[in-house]
Parts: sequence; structure tokens; C-alpha cells
Amino acid sequence: MPAPSPTHPDVLVSTDWVQQHLDDPKVRIVETDEDAALYFQGHIPGAVEIGWHLHLQDQLKRDYIDASRFEALCSAAGIANDTTVVFYGDNSNWWACYAFWAFKLFGHADCRIMDGGYALWKAQGRTLTKDVPQYPATSYKVQKADPSAIRALRDDVLEHAKAGRQLIDVRSTDEYTGKKLHMENYPQEGALRGGHIPGAKSVPWKEAINDDGTFKSPDELRALYEKGCGLKPGEPVVAYCRIGERSSHTWFALKYLLGYPNVRNYDGSWTEWGNLVGAPIATGAEPGKI
Amino acid sequence: MKSRLNEMTQEFRDADRQERIELLIDLAKSLPPLPDRLAALKDATHRVQECQSPVFLFVEPEDGRIRLHADAPIEAPTVRGFVALLVESLDGAPPSEIRAVPDDLVEQTGLTEILGMLRVHGLSGVLRRLKSEVARASAAPAS
Repeated sequence: MPAPSPTHPDVLVSTDWVQQHLDDPKVRIVETDEDAALYFQGHIPGAVEIGWHLHLQDQLKRDYIDASRFEALCSAAGIANDTTVVFYGDNSNWWACYAFWAFKLFGHADCRIMDGGYALWKAQGRTLTKDVPQYPATSYKVQKADPSAIRALRDDVLEHAKAGRQLIDVRSTDEYTGKKLHMENYPQEGALRGGHIPGAKSVPWKEAINDDGTFKSPDELRALYEKGCGLKPGEPVVAYCRIGERSSHTWFALKYLLGYPNVRNYDGSWTEWGNLVGAPIATGAEPGKI
Repeated sequence: MKSRLNEMTQEFRDADRQERIELLIDLAKSLPPLPDRLAALKDATHRVQECQSPVFLFVEPEDGRIRLHADAPIEAPTVRGFVALLVESLDGAPPSEIRAVPDDLVEQTGLTEILGMLRVHGLSGVLRRLKSEVARASAAPAS
């Protein structure tokens, strides 16, 4: 048995930890939600909002924002290069993990996820406020950004799949087999073909969390990904879903909670692959191959 | 005379992004709770399948008008606010008025910008479901 990879347990913080750091000037709490109105209905005191499509995505081309806009975004939110940024949000932290991933694309050093997200904070009866805080602007400078280490583009994914390397499809079973083009109860978001990338194994994102939205323990996660679907920790993994948010959640679990050295998120995901002319696709319950 | 829906749509259209969010939050807060007899019926039959959040819609004909009740999670204020807009502006309206609601109401109220292009379909699904329920209810013989 190889020794387990080093994990990064400090990257996942509890609601208690956040409560204790509400007034810590070195910590900035960031809410990133599926529902853009939720922050304004009530958020953790002192938290700023960073919207997944309003702030993190380019409004013109399908991509995340460029470095100068990221610098402006962080500077306005009072985030400095050495700030500890704690992300949380609705829907079991999908978009919080996406925002975490986006900050890592730009090489931000200290990012954390608040385990359990918005729902757990609220369920514990903790304070929510409508007050939108203002922080003194910083002059954030992007340093050491290496997006290719954690982001796979479609050509990378094709090459990865052709080489028979590890792919994880984190969508629901019906999306994986090709029965549905979208998540249960979600609208059809414009993929022309159903199925999965040949060779991809199916581990729906939700299997990584408990009922209260917190992540399962590293041992449970290892059982899920390594015993359950045979992932080899030391080998490269690419995770994808439909638009890249659910796979950010799995990417976070693999990279930080299990410490896998080489995990990339394919944020183009099924809305790109399922529309890409000539891209190979497998259907049914088996991974298949190219 | 302008209908309540026209007024509310206009109010959204005239608002900026932040004001629209505040309108949605206020509407979401004002959505009346379901009467007990309907709360017991929150099942798959009354769930709007097109919407990602659990939205429940109840359409009841009453003296040639449509009584409208709905529920949506408080944690999804955009969805709940839009549902509340439909209930506030269309509860008690004649079926013809509801069937005439423009299909692009979500775009007309400027919510596309708040939701992002990808998530507009869910709300449009609530409206489609409402209109088809009303068409069905008003076509059924009075019992």
C-alpha cells in the first residue's frame, strides 16, 4: 500500500472557525451563490459577495475574467495578496468551490472553504445580516498564476482521454448514461448530445458530502474514489460536470481533502463537450473508451 | 387601465440590477404561506419540474377566475421572488389574462442579468407550467 498523499485539512474550516475570525483583518469572508439575490437577503457579518457569473466570468466570451479584472475585483473587496479568503455559499458550496478554484487560477495563496456553506451557518442559528461591508481598497497583484496546473481545456481533455488517463464525471447518473441532457430538475442548458467522455468514471459530486452539506471524512472519500472507482492518487485526474461548478466541488475534495498532486477541472464540461463537433462520446453505464 | 402585472413588470424594467434584487427579496418575503390543505399536497404532481429549486404551484378555478398559490424556498430568493410576482399579480385573474402573459416575462423583468443566461430557463419553466395548468383547469368541465 502506498502511503496516503498529504492532505490539506486546514483548507476546510468550520463555521466555528469563521465565527471566531469575523473580525480578523487578515481574513476576508466571501459568499458565492447560485442565487445572486441570496447574499442581499442575509449573509455572514462582514462577508463580501463575489458572483460566479457577474464577477468571475467574462461577460463577452465564455471564459473566466483576466488578471487585471481579477486584481480590480480583489482590490475593491479589500483582499490583499496575503489575505486568507474563506469561501462559502448556497447549494452545498458548489459556487464557493468554483470561486476557490478561480482564485487558485490566479495563484492566490491562502484560500479556504467553510464546510457546510450557507445552509449549515443558517441551520446553526448564526447571525445573518443585510449590511454590505466596505473595506479599504488594496492594490492586489497577481503572482505566479499557473492555470494549466488546475484547468483542463478541451484539447487537453481529448489528449488525456486518448491516453486512457483518469477522468471523473461528477454529474448525475442519468446525465452520465446519456438519458438526460441536464441535471434532475434543472433546465436543459444546451447540449446537443448526451453521454460522457469515453473512459470517464461516474462519481456524482453529492456522494462526497454528508446530509448537512459538509464534506465526508478523508477516509470516507478515499473509500469512495479509490476503493469505489479505482482512482490512483498519484496519477493525473480530470473532473468535469456540465458547466464546471459541481466539478470544482469534486476537484476541491480530490486536491485538498485527499491531497492528489495532479487534479484539473474541465470547466468547459458537458456544455462544451456535448456540443463539440467530432468529440468522441460514450453512452450507457460503462466508461467505454476511445 | 394597466394590469397589476404590467405595473410590476414596468417597475422591474425601470430598476437597476441592485434594485431588482431588492424587489425580488421583498416579493420573496411577501409570498403568503400555503394554506394547510395545500401544504399537505407538496408532492411531485405540484412541483415545477423545469425549475432547479423546489417550486410548488397550485392552480384552482373559482367562479370563472384562477386562484393561485405557490411555494418556493426562502434560500432561493430570485426564484421565490419571481413566483411571488406571479402570485401577487395574477391570483384572482381570469384564465384569459394568465394565458396572455408574455412568454418572455423573465427577460422583460430584466432578470436575465441577475440569473445569468444559463439559469433563465428554470424561471421561464415556472411560467410555462402556470400557463399550461391554467389552460387545463379552465378547459375542464366545472365540477
